[in-house]
Amino acid sequence: MSIVEVKGLCKKYPEFTLDNVDFSLEKGRITGFIGRNGAGKTTTIKSILNLVHPDAGEVSYFGMPLNGNEAEIKTRIGYSTGSLNYYPRKKLKDLIAVTKLFYPNWNDEAARRYAELFKLDLEKTPLELSEGMKVKCNLLLAMSHGAEVLILDEPTSGLDPFSRDELLDVFLQLRDHGVAILYSTHITSDLEKCADDILYIRNGKIIASETRERFIETMGQPGETLEEIMLRSEREARNE
Amino acid sequence: MSNMLKKEMKLSASILSYLFIVFGFMTLIPGYPILCGAFFTTLGLFQTFQSMRENNDTVYSALLPVRKSDVVRGRYAFVVFIEMCSFAIMAVLTLLRMTALAGSAVYRANALMNANLVYLGFALLIFGCFNSVFVGGFYKTAFYFGKPFVLHTIVAFVIIFIAEALHHVPGLEAVNAFGFDHIGLQLAFLLAGAAAFVLLTVLSMKRSERNFEKIDL
Repeated sequence: MSIVEVKGLCKKYPEFTLDNVDFSLEKGRITGFIGRNGAGKTTTIKSILNLVHPDAGEVSYFGMPLNGNEAEIKTRIGYSTGSLNYYPRKKLKDLIAVTKLFYPNWNDEAARRYAELFKLDLEKTPLELSEGMKVKCNLLLAMSHGAEVLILDEPTSGLDPFSRDELLDVFLQLRDHGVAILYSTHITSDLEKCADDILYIRNGKIIASETRERFIETMGQPGETLEEIMLRSEREARNE
Repeated sequence: MSNMLKKEMKLSASILSYLFIVFGFMTLIPGYPILCGAFFTTLGLFQTFQSMRENNDTVYSALLPVRKSDVVRGRYAFVVFIEMCSFAIMAVLTLLRMTALAGSAVYRANALMNANLVYLGFALLIFGCFNSVFVGGFYKTAFYFGKPFVLHTIVAFVIIFIAEALHHVPGLEAVNAFGFDHIGLQLAFLLAGAAAFVLLTVLSMKRSERNFEKIDL
């Protein structure tokens, strides 16, 4: 059974419509969520986190509908929507101390390990961090409570190539421990390294939701990388 | 829920919200509209809303593993906690003025409102109006608080004006009773204030929960 199921998700804005989005996430698999700016990645992610209200559709985690089980579900998932954009003048250790109150499974050892891996000085405030370090801090918060699902909106944006590589290694380790990961990105080369599945959205519609190999086989031409497939596909769509 | 209150106190609260609790001591000032102390306490709470918005707290809170309604309840719990701290000071000092200081010449000669149970009832009404007009108004958008605060200020000063004027109306002198005189009337005002506070706060919280649930973050 899928660990996350999204069915018929719709959200209408004056200039944009998220149209009948369906996908599922499996335990121990990494799904790369790709699409142009404004294609609907963030709206989809916010909808499945109940930050925006879909006009229609169902979202369920672990076989439970999000609606009515929000608090319980959120203790079992980790999520990060971009960089750390709150409490810029509070020390990271204070932010962590408050955040961990809400997670019964919070693991101080894991938090310490991620802080060490990401070279985060917990005495600093978000204001003193670069964008990349803010992303890492958000990831520490998202990953230190034994989450079974990680939902990350552009977690690698702002990270240098070395940090990105380190983070992808962390993703691979988590996947091996059975964690399902959904992450949106523009850096398709990252997906070549770690994505098992690809979710491709364009103008609010899911164009493809399949394994990476199958995606390359069906959408690509011989020798094309994921980036080349995406670029060609977007150009073709624009010219239609 | 208690975690939300801890989070409010450790992260969101402005230090001014705590400091302005001491305006409850205005209960002791003779020749001053002492109900202003309740308004100043709400002014301190306003600073928390300002700090919370500057710090993007709404998004942080909504990302925590709680229901969206718990975010609203946590904020109301903090507001009521601060109000009750201030009210506790007012109540103790009012009892002091009603007992040991009941015969004090400086209070007897006071042309303005006396500190008695009627005063405490009006203080609760001001707190209830803050919760309804300001906090409830804020949660219509979870962002804008200028208009709700202006409205609260107007409502609070209308209440202060009425409370100050009441005992000058012929026949209503008893509302300014000293000590335990007219205790039945005093108790009636206190209970009415308490009922208004509870009603305004609970209804406003329910409305805010519904409004916040609908807001896209």
